[in-house]
Amino acid sequence: MKQSMIINGTKHEINVDGDMPLLWFLRDELEFTGTKFGCGMGLCGACTVHVNGQAIRSCITTVSSVINKKITTIEGLSQNGDHALQKAWLNNNVPQCGYCQAGQIMNAASLLAVNPAPTKKEIETSMQGNICRCGTYQRITKAIAEAADTLSKEA
Amino acid sequence: MSNSNVSRRNFLKIAGVTAGGLCISISLPGNALAEKGIVENSSIELNAFIHLDDNGDTTIYCGRCEMGQGISTALPSAVADEMDADWQRVSVQQGDADEKFGPQSTGGSKSIRVMYKPMREAGAKARAMLIAAAAKVWKTSTDNCYAQSHFVINKLNQQKLGFGELASIANNMPIPDKVPLKKQSEFKYIGKKLARHDQDEVVIGKRIYGVDTKLPGLKYAAIIHCPVLGGSLKSVDKTEALKVKGVTNIVEIPRFDVPFGSIGGVAVVADNTWTAQQAVKKLKVEWNLGENSVYNTKEYKQQLVANVEKPATLAKERGNVNRAFKKAKHKLKATYTGGHLSHSPMEPNASVVWVQKDSCEVWASTQSPVDIQKVLGQYLKREPKDIVVHVAMAGGAFGRKFMCDYVHEAAVISEKSGVPIQLIWSREEDMRTGYYHSINAQHIEASMDEQGNVTGWLHRAAFPSIPTLFDPSLVRAPKGTLNAVVNHLFGVKNLRAESGDAKAHTRIGWYRAVNSIFYGFAFSTFADELAYKAGKDPLSFVNQLFDNNQKKKQKKDVKRAKSVLALVAEKANWHNRENLPEGQGIGLAVHYSFKSFVAMAVHVEVKNDDIKVLNVDCAIDCGQILNIDGATAQMEGAVVMGMSLALNTEITFRDGAVVNSNFHNYPVMRISDMPNVRVHITDSSKSPTGLGEPGVAPFAPALSNAVFAASGKRYRDLPFKPMAV
Repeated sequence: MKQSMIINGTKHEINVDGDMPLLWFLRDELEFTGTKFGCGMGLCGACTVHVNGQAIRSCITTVSSVINKKITTIEGLSQNGDHALQKAWLNNNVPQCGYCQAGQIMNAASLLAVNPAPTKKEIETSMQGNICRCGTYQRITKAIAEAADTLSKEA
Repeated sequence: MSNSNVSRRNFLKIAGVTAGGLCISISLPGNALAEKGIVENSSIELNAFIHLDDNGDTTIYCGRCEMGQGISTALPSAVADEMDADWQRVSVQQGDADEKFGPQSTGGSKSIRVMYKPMREAGAKARAMLIAAAAKVWKTSTDNCYAQSHFVINKLNQQKLGFGELASIANNMPIPDKVPLKKQSEFKYIGKKLARHDQDEVVIGKRIYGVDTKLPGLKYAAIIHCPVLGGSLKSVDKTEALKVKGVTNIVEIPRFDVPFGSIGGVAVVADNTWTAQQAVKKLKVEWNLGENSVYNTKEYKQQLVANVEKPATLAKERGNVNRAFKKAKHKLKATYTGGHLSHSPMEPNASVVWVQKDSCEVWASTQSPVDIQKVLGQYLKREPKDIVVHVAMAGGAFGRKFMCDYVHEAAVISEKSGVPIQLIWSREEDMRTGYYHSINAQHIEASMDEQGNVTGWLHRAAFPSIPTLFDPSLVRAPKGTLNAVVNHLFGVKNLRAESGDAKAHTRIGWYRAVNSIFYGFAFSTFADELAYKAGKDPLSFVNQLFDNNQKKKQKKDVKRAKSVLALVAEKANWHNRENLPEGQGIGLAVHYSFKSFVAMAVHVEVKNDDIKVLNVDCAIDCGQILNIDGATAQMEGAVVMGMSLALNTEITFRDGAVVNSNFHNYPVMRISDMPNVRVHITDSSKSPTGLGEPGVAPFAPALSNAVFAASGKRYRDLPFKPMAV
């Protein structure tokens, strides 16, 4: 029987070499192109997805290391693009080119899952691994704080 | 896989004109290469399109390339405004390479300058035709009708007809020659806050970038380049690479000696990008490195310094600098330097190309589809118009994607492999095979009288220049590249500009803000140094420098420059800076570039040589703003890019090859260094000018001035804190 993983709630058989990074399995085999290639070394965060709810860099995470695990990509973060972070991103007009933003949002979602009320400093520390070359950092920090605020009111 | 996101049918639907509905074509002036000064300006008849469906859905095409600067929101919203279309009913499409869209090469912060008026006219003409259609239906005069939010309304009886209902009738109306444009007070979208048209797709991961293009039968390629410009392949042992499962082809790509052609390399084709990347690492390649293997940037920078600290080639002199120096009360000289920079957008160079016997189709993140047509046409020996280029959303570009070497390579690989090819450069190849911002040195000597008036200014600049791309024999920057020195708004009666020798050993390209980066740094830092020398407040000193400008035709520009400077000084509380805590300081800088005026006040804290940027006030006057939020974002981004290049980023060459390889040794700015940025935009109805680039230049000098104010230490070399690589 083939090994598999659950991506955004759907089971996908692994039909590639186990050494292939999850990033390329997602992008080239399954055509989930929302997850981006930026550096290939876990340095820029563009490829961030969740494994069992936690942010990881999919460019340095092999397919064999996530067998039977639950993967969430930007396409599966919410049902209708209505995660508090996605709404805050829109409300603050965060994206410029937008290429890094899937990774930024996924990383931020992982942060809020463990720290629902992060300070500015905690946000910055947590987001330090995600590069935005267009320079949207100020809006990213603001959007995360806003999303945290929204979530705390919902709770 | 079957769920390809681009299909031929989709292409036809986007580019073709469907039956029923309105299609407006307009005449546009301009020439893409002329914008970059590559060819003489010539007049070509060109067109652009608005498409209105019978159901009211409106598509507005943007011919200028989108890379995050927001042009595909700004220009179409201006069209919608003049058309009185409802922005909610508008979808924006990126135009394929086609001269009907006007000049598409996107650089020089020119999109709005070139397209603002013609795009508005296109919208206004559509509105006039819709009104004419409604008047025909109602059998009344057009004077009795007006358009509002996707409807035409009859003033006499308040009857309404939707744009969709009117589309096919309007399509038969004559296209008016001249139409009145709206006054500023009538704008509905222009100058207001608009979200990017595609941000909903961005946050759910559905926005398609060049790197995301999928086609049936697509194969994936990875490449390794010759590390030294001008080198060539000596030998390649493919044995181990061919053993990798999934590898289907290995293609040698010779250097293609045309501007924007490949530097030369070897590519591996495989079933997916990862396999191709792994196999490339198993190639055993030997290169003939050629004469540029002598290039070492550390020594080269010292050579540039030597070349500007001695007499160089005259570019232009006004007055007599030597005479002014003889009469001087104060004299000062300083030398400023800067290193190469890599654009390093988050999306590395990527494209899909499918070369077939009778067709060639390209999907690329690009700033210049016209150059793709030209280079691929040259390579394939076909007419440029026969190269179909779909312009994809670029995941950042900053000037790098103006050059299409990566697309040319994908074309070579596709031609040799007989299948559509997606070539994505690795980050390492992207960083090491760039078109770099010029390494540079400038030496300035100035004289002042007793009142602190600058009486003479000798300015020598040495940098390998962009024109070397087109004429590699150039040994120094051509005179024209020193125009920014000669025409600077500072009022100096006696000025002499000289160009120092600087032969290029790598490819030099347009990097966001281009030469303004180093000119802005030298001018505003040296002005600050002069102020201290004269014992004056730097702000008053710079104002005096501007006031001494007697040139009538620069009078308005001087006023605008002073005005943005005054604004940031006020916002940063410059006049109370004496009350700042120990170790803190504020620095000012102002620079005019791309026809716009930008000033910055940078507030820093310096502790044991550590520089922490706390606040940045940034003011811009770029005439009429199209999208106030987009403009603000451009300034915020310019501060971040300015901060990376001022503090940390530098490309180092050793023995002709780039040493940096990825973000660990090319440390672009990260979020924890983000200062509080406040953007102040001048409310203006003047013609719109550059916005994407002019924000970058003032940051580094303002930072140098701030650090000096805080600590007494003067930084004259960019970056201030280079990483040892």
